[in-house]
Formats: sequence, structure tokens, C-alpha cells
Amino acid sequence: MALFEIKDLTFCYPVREREALTGINLTIEQGEYITICGKSGSGKTTLLRHLKPPVTPKGKKSGEVLFEETPVEDLDLRTQAASIGYVMQNPDNQVVTDKVWHELAFGLESLGYDTRTIRLKVAEMASYFGIQDWFYKNVNELSGGQKQLLNLASIMAMQPKVLICDEPTSQLDPIAASDFLQTIKKINLELGTTIIMTEHRLEEVFHASDRVVVMEKGKIVACGTPRLVGDMLKKENSDMAAALPAPMQIYYGVGSRLECPLTVREGRSWLERELKTEGKALKRDRLEEPDMPEESEKPAIKAKELWYRYSKEGADVLKGASISVPKGSFYAIVGGNGTGKSTFLKSICGILKPYNGKVIIDGKPLGKYKKGELFQGHLAMLPQDPQSLFVKKTVREELLEMVHGGVSENEVDAMAEKCLISHLLDKHPYDISGGEQQRTALAKVLLTKPSILLMDEPTKGMDNYFKQSLVSILRELEDLTILMVSHDIEFCARYADIVSMFFDGGVITTNTARRFFSGNSFYTTSANRMSRHIFANAVTEEDVITLCRENQ
Amino acid sequence: MKFENYHPGINFIFFLFSMIFIFYFNHPVYVVIAFLSYFAYSIKLNGKREIIFNIILVLFIVIYCLWYSYYNHFGITNIRKNFIGNNITVEALFYGLVRGMQAAAFIMNFACMLAVFSTDKVIYLAGRLFPKLSLFISIFLRSFSRIKERNADVNISRKGIGMGKGQSKVIGEIRNRLRILSIIITWTLEDYIESSLSMKCRGYTLKHRTSFSIYRFDNRDRSLVIMFFIGITLTFMAAALNQTNILYDPEIIMYRPKGWSYIFYVSYACFCLLPMGIEIVNSIKYKKRHGEEKAYGELL
Repeated sequence: MALFEIKDLTFCYPVREREALTGINLTIEQGEYITICGKSGSGKTTLLRHLKPPVTPKGKKSGEVLFEETPVEDLDLRTQAASIGYVMQNPDNQVVTDKVWHELAFGLESLGYDTRTIRLKVAEMASYFGIQDWFYKNVNELSGGQKQLLNLASIMAMQPKVLICDEPTSQLDPIAASDFLQTIKKINLELGTTIIMTEHRLEEVFHASDRVVVMEKGKIVACGTPRLVGDMLKKENSDMAAALPAPMQIYYGVGSRLECPLTVREGRSWLERELKTEGKALKRDRLEEPDMPEESEKPAIKAKELWYRYSKEGADVLKGASISVPKGSFYAIVGGNGTGKSTFLKSICGILKPYNGKVIIDGKPLGKYKKGELFQGHLAMLPQDPQSLFVKKTVREELLEMVHGGVSENEVDAMAEKCLISHLLDKHPYDISGGEQQRTALAKVLLTKPSILLMDEPTKGMDNYFKQSLVSILRELEDLTILMVSHDIEFCARYADIVSMFFDGGVITTNTARRFFSGNSFYTTSANRMSRHIFANAVTEEDVITLCRENQ
Repeated sequence: MKFENYHPGINFIFFLFSMIFIFYFNHPVYVVIAFLSYFAYSIKLNGKREIIFNIILVLFIVIYCLWYSYYNHFGITNIRKNFIGNNITVEALFYGLVRGMQAAAFIMNFACMLAVFSTDKVIYLAGRLFPKLSLFISIFLRSFSRIKERNADVNISRKGIGMGKGQSKVIGEIRNRLRILSIIITWTLEDYIESSLSMKCRGYTLKHRTSFSIYRFDNRDRSLVIMFFIGITLTFMAAALNQTNILYDPEIIMYRPKGWSYIFYVSYACFCLLPMGIEIVNSIKYKKRHGEEKAYGELL
């Protein structure tokens, strides 16, 4: 008996003309691990929401969704609540109570269990998910990753047959995301729970999935094992091919006839076999690399030994952090969570005030700028959460808010065009997708006409397609100095000029992107990890493909 | 084992009855017992800062009793006249002193209660009376801290484009603050939609919802309840036998203590000192055990 059976599902949101889902047919068996991927706006979330009645959107619907041969809308509340678990995107919105233990018990309270049963089940869940250390904590003391894990545990406590996850890691940093996906895999393997997940971090989930479903414009365009789907996407030359894991992209880029690798481990041995490296020297094993530019006399940003702590008795977060960003460069700072990267960025623009050290912006110390002067034409910061920048009812008003700062309305229109948001001007900024919000925020920030742009995790929660459009917008702006703080290694390797590693409150090393990443062995791109035993300094997928072609 | 680690119901019983007793008993022995007990217990719980606070309270008692006797003139034993010509009496002076000590004991007892009762316990106890209430308080606390965080986030983001708090002159400043306020309201409403979906997904709308608590009622709790109730019963007997109150007006009239009066005094003192006693006994036990473990460690 199939767990879910979706028959000819077509759905249209009210007031929209285009169908959000068109003729979806899909059968999901008990115990499967299914990944649904597709660009944002392709209907992934809408499809998932049809599997769980409380979150199903209102609109015109035809076709049916069966859960164990019963239409989902006819399921009684209890079965629906207990058997179908649903994890949403934002970890914060889902946690409703203020204590970890209370949140774990929430679903069980709904099901009406007595205190003894709940105590046992909560204890089980806390132990299985490693929550016992923060069991008594307030929820607001937890990190994003811990909150999402808590959501997962509180749903698993009800022992659902199927777990539906809608981009569960899009708000998490890569380490927390990877932990979360490992846990999902563990649940699937050890408990046999069916997993249906949408995810744009394909690197992590592709090899773990039994089946991958690819959606485009509300239709299923490919469905099958990961290798099969890879082949189909390649054949159709789909946009989604750019989202495939690095080993697969390299494999297709080279055009090999061997079996397709899914993971870095498989990629390494594939590369050896493909190039027949045993006992023979390569024609060429390194790419040319530009030298590290000399430290310029007048850098755009210069920070000298900043020291900062959040409270008087607290530990130092910044411990003598220094940086020098040349004019017109794209500078990235990478590093783990809680190393003080974001604090550093906020200190540079004066939002936080370091108790020691000096910041010089455009040759003038930070303290010499008058009130409001710094953020008019000199510096602007794109926040981590673009939504936190919005205060108006439409995107247009949002941009026009900047007009009082001496920007004409024509410039607003031009900026909207440049940031590809002209078609969104009349929408509410909360209603557009994450990538679109990011571009709206970018447009708004750029309207202050900064010469230096600071970005805090600009690629968080974005798929590859949106990342590319972000970069093409930034590339068009000449003379703009960009300082970015990011977890996204692949993004930095591909687009940044200079990369610094931040650790323990300071900058540890700085180098050009290629030198930086080819020198690291753990903290580097998967293309590099896959090829470092053969090529000296291939960092991006394109690098590996180029070198492979030359050696074939 | 501390008193605060016992079941919240027991904490509640103790503080409820101790406050009733402080409030109604005006027999000097009872007042002094309560005063000294809570003086010591509040210092034990809250540390050095409480000593200073309690000394201030003692000063307050003296001032209150002088003030009281200056304006109240009942009683028959005159000491002297004040400058208006009214009598200052021993009865009024004494009664003022007792009243002041009662008030001070009450405040110190309240300080102990604040230290023992966490918000968790209050929510739990409220939830026993009205099961839905505790959930709502919990949800309220959560969203309150979320709004606070969000407000900080928005402010920092807006600062990054020069439109945060404290970055413009008067009119701009008011405008910026109003905009932040309005978006926080919008955001909160949006947030509630998501949160309520998450609640529905986990079956919030089902009937027969239960209310879970992490507190357990063990044998140690039971034995403490029994001890408390022995103390409370004896004290009520004392009250019934008119041992706990005396007359101050027009003359101080006190019963003559009989044999069992002393039993009542001791039982009341035991009741007042029990929470602190538990902590002291346990810390002695702990030290002893720790010492033994250390001795074993040295042997090995």
C-alpha cells in the first residue's frame, strides 16, 4: 500500500492566472527518502503543503491526494496530526512555547497523553536527538540549528509515519544544516520514517535520497534515482543542472562514459580512473593564479586591531581584528559560527563601538564622520535577513522611502530594473520569495549610493540560480568595494577576489581566492576536495573541468 | 537538596500559610519567631545583599514604631506628653513595634518567595487552576522575547542604511522610530499566522488536551508535606486556644504561658525554619559525604 498517492493534482491560487501545480502524479512508498528540487517559484512548497491539511493553501484544486488510500482532507484530526509531521522553513516561527521541554511535549499534550507517558516519550526524544543538555533552557537561548532540531524532535515525539520538510535548512549555517540533514537521514535509516523534503543544498541530500523529483513551473519534469535524474537534467540542459552536486557537474562537464559519481569520495576515484593517472605524469596540473595585490596606500576600509566585547564582564569577541580592503575589490571573510565575523562587520560600520582599535573608511577615521554622513554615499550594509529592512506595504514604497536622501524617482526605477524587481513593485515585500526579497533589499541599500557595500551572509537560503543573478547585479556596479561575510565557501571561491579566514576574534590568513582555498584541506570547496590529489590548485567545478579536458 | 527543588505545590503551601500566620498573629513570641526565621532564611537565600536590606528594614521598624506611638494615643500607661499635649503610651509604642516587625517579616518572607519561585513554577501553579492559562502564558513569554529580538534586528538593519534609531535629527528620528514600530506590528501578526499553523500541525485543535509538567511528586515531597501539616495543625490549635494573639488596647493583656504553650512556640518555630533547616542539614550531609569520598580517593 502506497503511503501517499497524488493523482492528477492541479492547483491554482486565487486571483492568479497561472496554475501553481499542473497535473502532478506521484506515488510515495512507505520508508522512502524523496527529495523534491526545483527553482524557487516552481511549486515545490505548494506541492508539499497539499500533503498536510492544516497548511494546504486555499484555491482552485482538482485531482486528489490519498494518504493510505484515504483522501487527506477526510483524515480525522488525530491521524493527521500524529501521522504526518511537517517541518517548516523558519525555525523560529514554529517554536511556540518558551521552554525546550514544553515544546517537546506540545504535540503529545494535544494527543491527550497523560503525564507519565509524556515524560517517557520526551525523555526518549531528548536522548535520541541529544537535547538533554539544553532540556531546561529557554528557547531564545538556542541557536538556529538547535531550534530546528527541537522542531524536528517535537514532531518526531508523536511518531509520525512520514516527515515532510520544507527547505528545513535554508535559515541555518552550513555546519548546522549538515547536522540537521544527517539527523534526517538517521531517522530514515533507523526508524524507517518516510522523508519527503525540498532542499536546495543538493550536495548534502542528493546521494542520500532514494528518489529525486525535479519540478519546473508547477510540473514534474524528472523523477527517479539521483543518477537517472542527473542524466535527464543534463540531456535537457536544464537550469537545474547548475544545482547538482559538484562531482556530478564535473562529470557532465567532462563528458565521461564511466559511472556518474555522487559524492566527493566517488568523485575522487572517478577522476583517477578517468584520467588514468596511475604511473604517468599529467600534462598540466595547475592553473595560473594572480598574485596577491600589494597592500594599497589608500584602502577603502582599514581596520586596525579592533577589540570588542558585548558586556563588561563578558569574553572578548573581537581580539585585535585587522583588515585592509583595497578599493574596488570583492573581499570575502569566511569562518565558522560564533567566531565574531558579524560583530566585526558591525564594528566596521560603527553600529557597534569597539573599545580599542581604529577604523578608517575612505581615508577618514570613523569618528570624524558627522551624524548620518557615513551612511549617505559612503557605506551601506545589506543585513543577513533582508526582511528586517522592510517597513512599507509595497516594494515600490519601500524603494521610494530612500528618495528623501536625495535620490530621484527615475533613479528608483532604474535601480529596480537593474536588480530585476520591476515586476514586483506592487507586491508586499513579505509576500515575495527569499531571493526576490534579497534583491529588493539590495536595491534599497544601493539607493544610498554607497562606495562601500557590506554584506552579511548574502547567500543564505538562496539557490544557485539566485546566487548567479545576485553576482551579475553586483558585477555591473563599477567602483563598488564589497566586503562580505559568508559561510558559503563555494560562492566565495567562485566570485571573491580576496578571501580572509576569521577565527577566534581575528583574521588568521588572507590570500587570493584560489590560493586561499587550494591551500586549505578541510575548509575548501568540494571541487577542490575532490581533485586535490591530482590537481594542485583547482578550486571551482570549471577549474577541474578545464584541467581534465587538457589532460584527456 | 534545596527547598526550591521540591514540588512547587509544597513551596506554595509553605508561603501561603507562612504569610497568613505573619498577618494574623500579634503575640510577641510569634512575631519574634517569624521575624528572626525569615531574617535568617532571606539572607541564606539571597546572600550578602540581603543583610544590608534587612538592616534597613530594622531601621524602618524603629521609625515606624516611633511614628505610630506619636500619632496613636490609646492605652493607659503614659510615658510623657508630646509637644501638642497628647500622651505617648507604652501600649501604642509596643503595638507599633509589633506591627513594624510583622511588616518586616512579611517583606522578608516575600523576598524568600521570589528567590524560590521561578516563572516556571508560577506558570505551573496557574496551570493547575486553569490548564489553558499556563500554555498561554508560555506562548506569550515566547512571543514577547521574539518581538524584542526582532526589534533589535530591524534596528541594526536600518542602521546599516542610516535609518536606525539615533541616526537623524528630530523629525527624521520620529519618522524612523514610527516606521520601525509599524513594521514590528505587521511582522508580529505575520508571525502569529505561522506559529498558529505550527500549532495546528501538531494537533492543537484536538479535544481532550492534557497539560504536561516536568515536576514530580516524590516520597521526599510527601514526607515534607506531612511535616508541614503537623506544624500547621499545631499552630492552628494554638490559634484556636487563643495562644497567638494578645490585647494591646486599652492595656497589654497576655495569657500566662502554660506547659503546652511552649509546644506551640516550638512547633511554630519548626514550621518557619523548616525550609532553611532542610538546606542546612543537606549541606552538612553533602560535606560529610564529600569528605568521605575524598578519603576514599586518597586511599586509592
